[in-house]
Amino acid sequence: MDELFRILPDEYVGVIKYRILAEKLSEVRIVNRAPVRVCYDGSYRFLCENGLTSDKHGAFVAGERAAEGVVMRACERSLYTVTETLRHGYVATRGGIRIGVCGSGVVSGGTVAAVKDFSSVNIRLPHEVKGCAENIFARAVSGGGVKSTLIVSPPGVGKTTVLRDLCRLVSERGYNVLLCDEKYEIAAVSGGVPTLDVGCRTDIMSGMSKTHVLTAGIASMRPHVVMVDELFAGEIDCVENARSCGVSVVATVHAANTAELKSKRGWERAIGGGLFDIYAVLSDAPRRNTAVYEGGI
Amino acid sequence: MSVKLIVVVLCAAIGTATGYMIMRSYRRNFEYLDGLCEVVNELKRNIAYRRDGTCGVLRGMTFKCSLLGKNVGEYVEFATGKQEKPNISRGFLPADIHASACEFFAGLGGGDGGSQLDVLNMYADKFGAMRSAAETKSTKYGGVAVKLGFLVGLGIGILVL
Repeated sequence: MDELFRILPDEYVGVIKYRILAEKLSEVRIVNRAPVRVCYDGSYRFLCENGLTSDKHGAFVAGERAAEGVVMRACERSLYTVTETLRHGYVATRGGIRIGVCGSGVVSGGTVAAVKDFSSVNIRLPHEVKGCAENIFARAVSGGGVKSTLIVSPPGVGKTTVLRDLCRLVSERGYNVLLCDEKYEIAAVSGGVPTLDVGCRTDIMSGMSKTHVLTAGIASMRPHVVMVDELFAGEIDCVENARSCGVSVVATVHAANTAELKSKRGWERAIGGGLFDIYAVLSDAPRRNTAVYEGGI
Repeated sequence: MSVKLIVVVLCAAIGTATGYMIMRSYRRNFEYLDGLCEVVNELKRNIAYRRDGTCGVLRGMTFKCSLLGKNVGEYVEFATGKQEKPNISRGFLPADIHASACEFFAGLGGGDGGSQLDVLNMYADKFGAMRSAAETKSTKYGGVAVKLGFLVGLGIGILVL
């Protein structure tokens, strides 16, 4: 929370510290010249002087350059350290906090060269929920190995939290785990030390692409399992290569359910070809449960 | 006779001390600019490979000049805090060096790696030229100030008698 308090304007910090339970906060959304919203205990409300409100008229209104202020504080006014991640729409800061950033893109040669005039930020706070992946773990780790698993869920339901816990559980069971923490949010490594618990047998490659980890990482670290977050269709070839090397892969993907996953472009081959042994589908509120499918969906 | 001698020696000593203080002020400017050049070079080295934040780099440095250490501390406080702009103390610095230092600290970290390197190269040249001027002033005029101080003090002592 100290990191969150460092990057937020003081008036919001006082309210979060003393008027609400900070641990129930999962997002802070700041849009320039608009009421400040937070995701508190699973639902969106506005932040106001007395805590939370449903009425936008009583809420704090962000300043004209509030989003820029958050980004500059997050990178300790060293914009060059986050230029690359800004191009991909986020800034990762200490403690696994990921800040989604919107602004105007500076396009050069058809690619986004930089982002300027930041208009809004979504500060997403990581949560460690130890034991939340136990039911997936029980099915994935059996018969002397780890089965390749795909965790399916829509954004914001907690697949990264589940992946982190699964990583910890598999690592504690004695397997060598190679974790691809592309956005510094799973292990939240700071100065070479993970700040979130991912298990003592986990090797972490932070800030590197999944394709790099699934090729060079496997060659250099000899893992039993590779864990990656937010897999895209273009990265399926690398997963296939990893599996052909005898390495299990645990990954997450954005989809609301199995039907949506099947209809995703580029995923037919992975699903039909049995690339993953287990599918764990996380559902959003109000049910909030995990359905585990073995041997296909 | 001994009183006269003491007066002459005292005036010469005061003159020499004044000259020495002038030389020290030249020397301090040189030490400040020398440290600032080292800061710029360290930032350039870091950006070329590690790309740590400016605060991380500056926190790991030690400074011979205490005012520079204080200024760096003020910058780090600004960069990690919620102030709108850095508040860089002037201390013994002449107006031009202070203005350049303020400009340098206020502009740190404001662009991507390439443009940051360009800015640092520009400051390396600027501070390098200022350091050479301060070094010349310190060695050339510093020695002269001490000698002149001694002679003026001696002269005043003789005139007083």
